[in-house]
Amino acid sequence: MSRIELKKLVKRFKDTEVLSGIDLDVPEGSTLVLFGPSGAGKTVLLRCIAGAVEQDDGEVLIGEEDVTDVLPEHRGIGMAFQNFALFPHMDAFDNIASPLTACGKTADQIRAGVDTVAKLLKIDHVLSHTPKALSNGQKQRTALARALVSRPKVLLLDDPLRNVDAKLRFEMRLELPRLLADQGATVIYVTQDYREAMALGDRIAVLDGGRIIQNGTPEEIYRRPATINIAKLFGDPTINLLDVVPQSDASGVYATLSDRRIQLDPGLSGNVGRECVLGLRPEALSFTTANDGVPVTIEAETPFNEKAVTLVTTLRKREILVSRPAETPAPTSGTAHITIDPSDAVLFDRQTGIRLDPNGTTHTAEKAA
Amino acid sequence: MSDVLLDLRQIDKIYNETSRHPVRAVKDLNLSVTQGEIVALLGSSGCGKTSTLRMIAGFETVSSGDILIKGRPVHKLAPAKRNVAMAFEGYSLYPPLTVEENIAFALKSERLAKEEVRKKVAEIAHLLEIEDILDRYPGSISGGQQQRASLARALIRNADLHLLDEPMGQLEPQLRALLRGRLKHFIKERGLTAILVTHDQTEANALADRIAVMEGGALQQFDSPLRLKDRPANLFTGTFIGEPPMNVFPAHAEADGGNLKLNLADGVCLTYPASAFSDELKARLLASDAFVIGVRPHAVKITAGGHPAKVYANQWLGDQTHIAARFAGQTIVSVRHDRAHHAPGETIGIDVAAHDLHIFATDSGRAFSHGGALA
Repeated sequence: MSRIELKKLVKRFKDTEVLSGIDLDVPEGSTLVLFGPSGAGKTVLLRCIAGAVEQDDGEVLIGEEDVTDVLPEHRGIGMAFQNFALFPHMDAFDNIASPLTACGKTADQIRAGVDTVAKLLKIDHVLSHTPKALSNGQKQRTALARALVSRPKVLLLDDPLRNVDAKLRFEMRLELPRLLADQGATVIYVTQDYREAMALGDRIAVLDGGRIIQNGTPEEIYRRPATINIAKLFGDPTINLLDVVPQSDASGVYATLSDRRIQLDPGLSGNVGRECVLGLRPEALSFTTANDGVPVTIEAETPFNEKAVTLVTTLRKREILVSRPAETPAPTSGTAHITIDPSDAVLFDRQTGIRLDPNGTTHTAEKAA
Repeated sequence: MSDVLLDLRQIDKIYNETSRHPVRAVKDLNLSVTQGEIVALLGSSGCGKTSTLRMIAGFETVSSGDILIKGRPVHKLAPAKRNVAMAFEGYSLYPPLTVEENIAFALKSERLAKEEVRKKVAEIAHLLEIEDILDRYPGSISGGQQQRASLARALIRNADLHLLDEPMGQLEPQLRALLRGRLKHFIKERGLTAILVTHDQTEANALADRIAVMEGGALQQFDSPLRLKDRPANLFTGTFIGEPPMNVFPAHAEADGGNLKLNLADGVCLTYPASAFSDELKARLLASDAFVIGVRPHAVKITAGGHPAKVYANQWLGDQTHIAARFAGQTIVSVRHDRAHHAPGETIGIDVAAHDLHIFATDSGRAFSHGGALA
């Protein structure tokens, strides 16, 4: 009973439209990650759902019910924001307990509820501290605990791990999905970290300029990004983008790199002669000892966590990053050849930045634009 | 040694020395940098890395110790007399000059022909992707562009030593990935010696020949990225370097015929043939009540016959999969470069090879061993 639906949601501030007709459907018990650059409208969207801001047009439905006229406190929503918003005069325990106190739970119920969630979030040792005495990471988790404690059916989490240090952030990223699943809540989670988005989202909605540019599973977003901009936002090192003009002959559709052919999906034949951008993920490229690959010059190799990233240049001095597991061998200098798996190549229209689909169907972004 | 370019000898930095609460920001730091080397000072905020860089540049006095550049003591000299070039995190460009003039200003003392200056500026601007803003003023460009202009101004100079303070902190990830490779190529091609300060281990690993890991004002380890990963000197370096962080478990050892058993919590027992460890290491392990074993997520293998562990998270990040499972009363994380489909709730087998074990003393954190041999 906690599916979240937005229908043609519009929000304007004075003359500026910050949300331009958002349609979104988050099934009960699932997590949707809202991803996008600062100023994309993510926080405003959350505030409309919460009832803290009223939309100018469109509907917000929670559990099939239009909640436009329902007061924020009656919408059954738990929230945690990146700026914590803790009560400064209360200790962490009372902060976390506040939603339970407000609905008249007994002292025992409150203690049990707070203890459980505080243990999960590893803040049970600082419950007697006031916000001033907490580190940023602890404040963030206190705010998260407060959102979870009353087991709301809908959770809105606005970048809750932003101020947490790298190690804890990694731990929390692993723990959160189970925590959220246990609650059975429908979750909208805002983040600017693509790894967090892919790890936590059943689906990811990419918001930019007040519109949803793509809404898909992590796999769809990573492998079939709707636009060049989305392709660049996911992946580190980022996707290689090369200007190409597809050609075709009897052997099929192809692009040219270092005077060698990169075979493209035959379904892209409608784009022959079009100015395009070819997107190649660094991990989809590999070195080959055979001479039939794309000839390149090795410029520099840099270790990247457990990967090795090589910067190579083509005959026309175009730069390409190639990455591989660190333990695998590869040439370190001079000239070399690389191979590309055609199924990993994505093609974009250079003018519009929109991905060209081999199946020829128009993409959601094209419809939206 | 003639090829030592920079030598820090027993450097101490104490702030508020005369007050009742002196802060010892750098403690007995000894560090030698070789001509042509790129060295990263890496640590979290407050570790002493920036104080160290500023002492080398001359913007901060040393409380005690010596700084030598090419064998010449410089720690009492003014910054301008040290022949070092520095790129600042806070940019510090001259506001009334264009980006081009700012960069060219660094070449003033070299008295080069105008054409030569223009050529050099164009080259570095191309490298750092700021060609299109050369005629703009610092006030009208973004933070990331200012940072690259400041970097260009430092790199273009002919100096004994180049100091780079968080050189790419303001740049967006895409650009950072590209510039890392270019920057390293540029520095190496010209044989420059560079020290960079960063809190980002990805950046340090990508650029530096050697990394000085600092914590609490003290140097923890000074080694190549590869050695930091394979031979961490202590538990701090072991768990600080590496993403995701190293898995660690308290353990104790037991001899069992031809095997050596490592007993972890929850009755988990890793059994290895005794021959996998050197005699000295075996004796040391058997003599200590408890120690800590560490294993990198990339070295945790998932095999059918391994120790059972229950998966609770499987996160695919596009180019790798992170699998977390309950093991020996804790979490164990395994990283795979492909997409692994072990679902939460599934029981998997965990296997750790003897040569992937790091063992640390429980009290001091100092490394006992890496693989089967003493550290």
